[in-house]
Amino acid sequence: MVNYLIVLFAVTLVYLSITERFRIYAGLIALQGLLLFGITFLELNEVTTANLIFIAAETLIFKTIVVPYLIFRIIRQTGVYKVHELAMPGFYILIFTIISLLISILLANQLINPYINTVYMTIALFTMFTGLLIVVTHKLILSHLIGFLILENAVFMFSLAVGNEMPMLINIGILLDIFVGVLILSFFGSKLKPHIGELTKLKD
Amino acid sequence: MSISIVIIKNRILTKILTIGFAIIHLSFVAYCWINLNKTELDYFTYDSLGLLFLSILSVISIPAIYHSFIYLKNEDIRKFTIYNAAFIALITFMSGAYLANGMAVIWIFVEATTLAVAALIYHDRTELALEATWKYIFVCSIGIALAYIGILFLSMTMHGTGISDLSFSSMTRMISNANPLYLKIAFVFIFVGFSTKMGLFPMHTITIDAHSVSPPPISALISTALMNVGFLAIFRAYLFLSSSVILPFMRQAFIIAGLLSLLISAGYMLKAKHLKRMLAYSSLENMGLVAIGVGVGGIGYYAAVLVILLHTLTKSSLFFQMGQLSRVLKTFKLDECGNYMKLYPAGALVLITGMLCILAIPPSGLFISEFILLKAMVLNGQWFVFIVTVLLLCCVIYAMSTRIMHITFSDSRNPDQCRVPGNVNPVETISQFIFLGLVIILCFYQPPILVDLINQSISVLPK
Repeated sequence: MVNYLIVLFAVTLVYLSITERFRIYAGLIALQGLLLFGITFLELNEVTTANLIFIAAETLIFKTIVVPYLIFRIIRQTGVYKVHELAMPGFYILIFTIISLLISILLANQLINPYINTVYMTIALFTMFTGLLIVVTHKLILSHLIGFLILENAVFMFSLAVGNEMPMLINIGILLDIFVGVLILSFFGSKLKPHIGELTKLKD
Repeated sequence: MSISIVIIKNRILTKILTIGFAIIHLSFVAYCWINLNKTELDYFTYDSLGLLFLSILSVISIPAIYHSFIYLKNEDIRKFTIYNAAFIALITFMSGAYLANGMAVIWIFVEATTLAVAALIYHDRTELALEATWKYIFVCSIGIALAYIGILFLSMTMHGTGISDLSFSSMTRMISNANPLYLKIAFVFIFVGFSTKMGLFPMHTITIDAHSVSPPPISALISTALMNVGFLAIFRAYLFLSSSVILPFMRQAFIIAGLLSLLISAGYMLKAKHLKRMLAYSSLENMGLVAIGVGVGGIGYYAAVLVILLHTLTKSSLFFQMGQLSRVLKTFKLDECGNYMKLYPAGALVLITGMLCILAIPPSGLFISEFILLKAMVLNGQWFVFIVTVLLLCCVIYAMSTRIMHITFSDSRNPDQCRVPGNVNPVETISQFIFLGLVIILCFYQPPILVDLINQSISVLPK
């Protein structure tokens, strides 16, 4: 069951890499939060109940509800619905996404470890590459935020891989999530006019 | 204290609390010296390396507070309190990072510094400040996330060992049996991630932008104590990973990053048009030298730690001076600066002495450290690194000295843009002269206690 959820998570990543509408981005980020909740619930069976509740609440409330809500709010405030017209076309991003998936598979197979599920490792690496790809190939600040949120989900997936032995690491990952969600999305998301593509006033 | 400052919103009480904090910090440093190598609260150890950086932080925080009060003289109460609260928080988080005895703990404190620094960079509330703050937070967050992935890879190597903490002592014990591929990946992520704080290539751009807009006392802290936090986080990882087979790989990574940092800094300094950005690139150059020192190894380790300590004193003096320069010349644009010696002789003397010190020209203490660094390259047969470093250092010396000399002795290149010069009390330069004096004294005499502490901190490293 966990493997199905992980593969479904990977499908959302492919969709994220080619979509151009921010509402779909927000919806997919919410779906990823829900999938991470399912994976957490099924996977972390050795941590204490209190810790499990904390982690589940973070995925269900923060990742699935609060973060997408903040993205929708930014979309409403700024009236920006699509990615920048100068962003790399979806077709090319899709090719890069597939290449990054292949690299993730190869790398995960090099990193075979009796304690870590290879599927887990593959998708975590794939999530990380996709997040970085979106940051690099898009122009708008909101797109960069989306890329960073995907990177955050990669971090969360990596931390789940060691969660049963080191639950403290998941809690630290959650700290990072909240830090970014609250600070970047709520404060800078509205102050910085996320529809502006280029910040180039500071230069040599 | 930070919270109470924000709640109270009283200028005098804020000043009292901030000064009180500095005194408490100094007392805490004294306590740490008495309890050297002691572990407290499970997560903090007062080891020699952490203590060196903590002591120097405590010393530079006093003039930083003094110059901050001058900078904030005409600010409204809200900005005044937020600044001081963030300042106290930043010093606290950096202290925590220096003394942390595990990767996870150091990571938490590094993340926390981003929050405090963001509030300080954004202090002026201008469009440029917003841009710099945004870039700083965004890139730092990516760096922090990457560093975290590195820590997770380290933790994956500990599966099945029964160890569930990531303290440096546990890591050192376990690392020799770990999978080298995991260790390499972990190191690369940690190195790139914490480079955002150290200001090393390729993550240097955000600190350059942050310097150009943040208040001068904060630039002094970002350019020194905060960069030291980044260095310490990477160096701690290097220390416990040095007993593994990936040591040559790590050294190569340090040398490549160091040389590229030097190259970038030399290139940009040659075309610098903004004084604070030029000083920021000078910090990149020094961090590059530190990275090369670690990469070369041997006596290069000693040189690297000495460079970073002396750079902290020198660069903080220069950035404190920027506060006065901006009030006298009303600009940081190099084309609009000039005649500083006539307008503010004390400040001009600081600029010239600081320039000599930061460029490692005798009698600067940095001359000794860079000499040891170059000697380490020769001893280890790193001739290519030696030649490239020397050539790039020549470019840096030319770029910086011509610009500082122009500001000090020449007329402005753009006299139409000149503002009416301001009046600044020469007393404000006292702390800068003290720091630069210390850097010069360290050229002739290095106290045994300093030498011992540096040697202790690098004693576990292979020669």
